[in-house]
Amino acid sequence: MTARELARRPVALGLLTALPLAFYGSAAHHSDHAAITGGLAMAFSMAGASIFAALTARPVDQRLILAGYHPSELLLGRLLLLELFGLTVAAIFSVVIVLGTGPAHPWVLAVGVGLVAFTSVPFGLAVGALAPHELEGVLILIGVVGVQLTLESTQTIAKLLPFWGPQRLIQHSIEGDVAIGAALPVGFAYAFALLGLAAYISRARAPSVERPRTAN
Amino acid sequence: MELARVSKRFGDKLVVDEVSLSVRAGEAVAITGENGAGKTTLLRMCARLITPDRGGVAVRGRVGYCPQEPGLFELLSADEHLALFAQALGLSRERALQEGGRLLAEFGFPVGERSQARHLSGGARQKLNLALALLGGARVLLLDEPYQGFDHGAYVSFWEHVARWKQEGLAVVVVTHLLAGTALVDRVLELAIPSAGAGA
Repeated sequence: MTARELARRPVALGLLTALPLAFYGSAAHHSDHAAITGGLAMAFSMAGASIFAALTARPVDQRLILAGYHPSELLLGRLLLLELFGLTVAAIFSVVIVLGTGPAHPWVLAVGVGLVAFTSVPFGLAVGALAPHELEGVLILIGVVGVQLTLESTQTIAKLLPFWGPQRLIQHSIEGDVAIGAALPVGFAYAFALLGLAAYISRARAPSVERPRTAN
Repeated sequence: MELARVSKRFGDKLVVDEVSLSVRAGEAVAITGENGAGKTTLLRMCARLITPDRGGVAVRGRVGYCPQEPGLFELLSADEHLALFAQALGLSRERALQEGGRLLAEFGFPVGERSQARHLSGGARQKLNLALALLGGARVLLLDEPYQGFDHGAYVSFWEHVARWKQEGLAVVVVTHLLAGTALVDRVLELAIPSAGAGA
């Protein structure tokens, strides 16, 4: 259902792709950090899409769970679809940055941008599960990603935020002398922890009735 | 279905205060009361969508829940909703479309309507909302003002269906504001707004 809903919103799809490109394009000729800015801005797109997917589906999800779905089935279905979309956009965006900026380590850049997309989806689903309404969800998104964008990756607060790992990877791909030993494990750990949070909240909110499915 | 002295509070506000209700198979019960009396909250507790602060809820059999506000995916059509719910119910897509199509037709949903939910009229959305609750043979029907936006024919048809569901052995609970409906059920539970000091 998330796939159909996304496919039927061509304007939203276009904006989701254009937003990180706009961040990158606006900074490309003025800043050495254009790739970092653009790469992290992907989080606005993918986490935003995930927040709306989770929040708009919330009332229907309850009925679907009553009908027989397990909350984790709904969450995983949404996660896989959004991850697929996010990683596709990340692949396109990585090519744009490699061609536009010419990073020293293009594969590290691709991994960093991909990790932004990978982490954004569970981040958005967790915020979507936590936030009472769209406005609160979007404000949390702007707050977290906006703060991450303004901070250097060496700052303590940056290290506590979900996109620190990919920020380090993208920075390393451009500057080359940035330690990235912890970046990938921390990034994945954050993504899985956020997914766990989303799953926990979805399950806690779900109707408690257990029943076998009927046969055809 | 049994509710034993259930209470629910949202913040400081007591919404449902020690309500008990028992609905047997083949019985239809109407829940009435003024705005804010806790009718929807009570029904949501029956469906286990919210947990009572006190008291217990026991439901035997699959619940078909029709919320007051149609819970629909705005960009999906009626058939796509039926297919989606069918998957949850473990029904084949063909059977869901057949059974759901029949239910929709009985309530006067435009046959062959392929529009997305956001383009449907209020009455048509409500008919789809109701059909999704009925799909797959639920044994307990919890219907929260399910006929909002229905034309007269569909409204009459709805109450004819209630009589049929009773004969088929279903337990039916209908939240209603309309007195005409209360004459067509076995019992009426009238809720009052809990007094400020109650439940303390």
